Amino acid sequence: MGLTERFTGGADTTKRKTVAGFRKETIEGIVWSLPYLAVFAVFLVWPALRGLYMSLHTYPNKFDLSQTEWVGLQNYVELFNDPVFYNAMEGTFLFVAISVPLLVILGLVMALGVNKNVAGKRTLRAIYFSPYVLTVAVVTLVWVQMYSTSFGLINYYLGFIMENPPGWLTSTNLVMPALAFMTVWWLVGFNFVIFLAARQSIPDWLYEAAQLDGAHGWRAFKDITLPQMRNSVVFVVMVQFILQFQVFAQPYVMTQGGPKDSSDTLVYYLYRSAFSQQEFGYGAAMGYVLVAILIVIAIINFKVIGDSND
Amino acid sequence: MTDAPIRSRLDSDTVRNALLHVFLYGLAFLMAVPYLYTISRSFQPNELLRDPRPYWIPPLVGEPVTLEHYQYLVNNTLVVEWTINTFVIAGGATILIVVIDSMIAFSLTRLDWPGQGAILGLILASFMVPYYMNIVPLYQIVSDLGLINSYWGVILPAAASPLGVFLLYQFFKDIPEEYEEAARLDGFSTFQVYTRIILPLAKPILSALALFMFVYNWNAFLWPLLVLSEQTAYTLPIGLVNLYQGNIDTPGLHMAVAILGSLPLFIVYLLFQGQLVRAVQMQGATG
Repeated sequence: MGLTERFTGGADTTKRKTVAGFRKETIEGIVWSLPYLAVFAVFLVWPALRGLYMSLHTYPNKFDLSQTEWVGLQNYVELFNDPVFYNAMEGTFLFVAISVPLLVILGLVMALGVNKNVAGKRTLRAIYFSPYVLTVAVVTLVWVQMYSTSFGLINYYLGFIMENPPGWLTSTNLVMPALAFMTVWWLVGFNFVIFLAARQSIPDWLYEAAQLDGAHGWRAFKDITLPQMRNSVVFVVMVQFILQFQVFAQPYVMTQGGPKDSSDTLVYYLYRSAFSQQEFGYGAAMGYVLVAILIVIAIINFKVIGDSND
Repeated sequence: MTDAPIRSRLDSDTVRNALLHVFLYGLAFLMAVPYLYTISRSFQPNELLRDPRPYWIPPLVGEPVTLEHYQYLVNNTLVVEWTINTFVIAGGATILIVVIDSMIAFSLTRLDWPGQGAILGLILASFMVPYYMNIVPLYQIVSDLGLINSYWGVILPAAASPLGVFLLYQFFKDIPEEYEEAARLDGFSTFQVYTRIILPLAKPILSALALFMFVYNWNAFLWPLLVLSEQTAYTLPIGLVNLYQGNIDTPGLHMAVAILGSLPLFIVYLLFQGQLVRAVQMQGATG
C-alpha cells in the first residue's frame, strides 16, 4: 500500500479530491476540530502536564517564576508529613460523608414523590430545582445570615423550643454539618431532576406486570425502580463525590476554615498554599494528590454500587 | 356489604396521597424559606435589622419598608459594572463554547479522518481531571499569556471544558446519515452541511447546552476570584463576597446584594426553566 493510499484508506481515493497527499476530508476534519483542540490543549492538557513539573520544583523567588529549583519528590514528602493537610483531609471527608448521602437520598425521595399522582408537579419542580441556579456567593451570603446567632432566622425559631440554640458556624462540631446542610439545599435540585427523568423513563408495564405477581410498594421499588435507575444513581453519586470533594467557597466565605481549623478543606488549603503563601510547587503537588484520591474514590464507588446488582 | 373493604382501601389511598402532598409541599416551603427571608430582610430599615423576627411577605400593615439598601448598593458600589462584566464573560464563554464544541463534535461524528478516535478518547479522559487540580499551573499559564484581569483569562479556560463536546457528540452521532448524503448529492459543501443540516436539527440540544453554560459561567467562583483581582474587573459573585467580607453586621445590605446578584439568573430561570432542566437531565442520561 502506497503512502497516499494509507492516508486515504485506498478505496476512497477515487471519491475525494486530495491535497498534497491528504484526503480533503482529513484536512477538513482537522480544521473543524482545531479551534476546540487549541483551547483544550493550552488550558487543560498543558496545565495538567505543567502541574507535574511544578510539583517537582520550588520557586525561591516568589515574584519571578522563571526561577525554579528541582527538588524531586520533596513537595510530596512534605505534604504527607503536614498536619494541616491531614486536618483538611479530615474536614473534607466529613463534609463529603454528610452531604453526598443526603444529596442522593433526598433527591431520590423528591423525584419518586413528584413522579406520583401529585397536583402542581411543575411548581414543585420549579421550587426544588431553583437553588441550583444561584451562585455559591449568594448561597453563602444568605446562609451566613440564616445561621447567625444574634439575628439569624434558624436560631430565632429554635429559641422557642430550646434554651440556648447552638452557634452553627462557631462550634467545632456543628460547623461542617451546617455547611453540608446548606450545600444540600443548594444542589439537591440537580439530582432531583436527573432522578425524575430516570424514573419517568421506566415503562409502566413493568410495574403492572409486577403487580400481577403481587409485588408492590417496597418490593416494586427494590426489584424494578432501583435497578432501572441504576445508571443515573451511579452517575449522581460519582458527580456529587467529585463535586463535594472539591468544596471551597463555603469555608472560604463563611468560616475561613474555623473555628480552630475545624472547617478547613483540601481545596481551600490548596488555595491558601498556592495563592496566599505563594508555595506554587506545594500547591501543584497537592493538586496531583487530590486527583489520586479522587481516582481511588471513583474505583471504590464503581466496585460498591456499579456491580452490586449483576 | 361487599364494597366496604374497597371503600376503606380508597380511604387509605386518599390519606396516603394527602400525606404525600403535605410532605412535598412542606419540603417546597422549607426550601423557599431562605428566599422569603432574604427578600424580607432586604427591605427592612437598618434600625430593625437587629431584631431577628422576619417580616411576613408582603409586610403586614404598619411595618416600615425601605429601599435604602438597594439605593446604597447602586450608588456606592460597582454592582452595575460587575453585572455587566458577568454578562460579558458568561455570554462570551457560552458563544465560544457552543461554536467550537459543535464544530469539533461535527468533525468527530460527520467527517472521517485518521486519529479522531484517539482525540475523542483524550477528551473523554479529561473528564477525570478535576477542575481544581489544574488551578495552580493554569494560573501560571494565564499569567504568562498576560490575561490576568482580562475577560479572556476567564473565558478561555472555561471553553476548554469537555462537557459540551461530549453532549453534542452523543447527539450528532445519532443524526441519520441519509440527510447528509442527500445534501452532499445536491452539492452542499461541508460548511453548508454543518450550518443548514446539523445545526438546525441540533437546535434543542444547542439551546439547552448554551443555557447551562451561561448559568454555569455566570456562577463560577474560584477561577474568576483568582484571575480578576481588580475591583473594576470583578464578576458579580466575586464582588458580592468582597463587599460582604468583614462586615457581617449589615444583614440588610447582604440580602439586597444577594437579591441583585441572583435576579438576572432568576429571570433567565423563569423564562427557560425547561431547557435548563433538560440540559441537566441530558448529563444524567449520557453519563
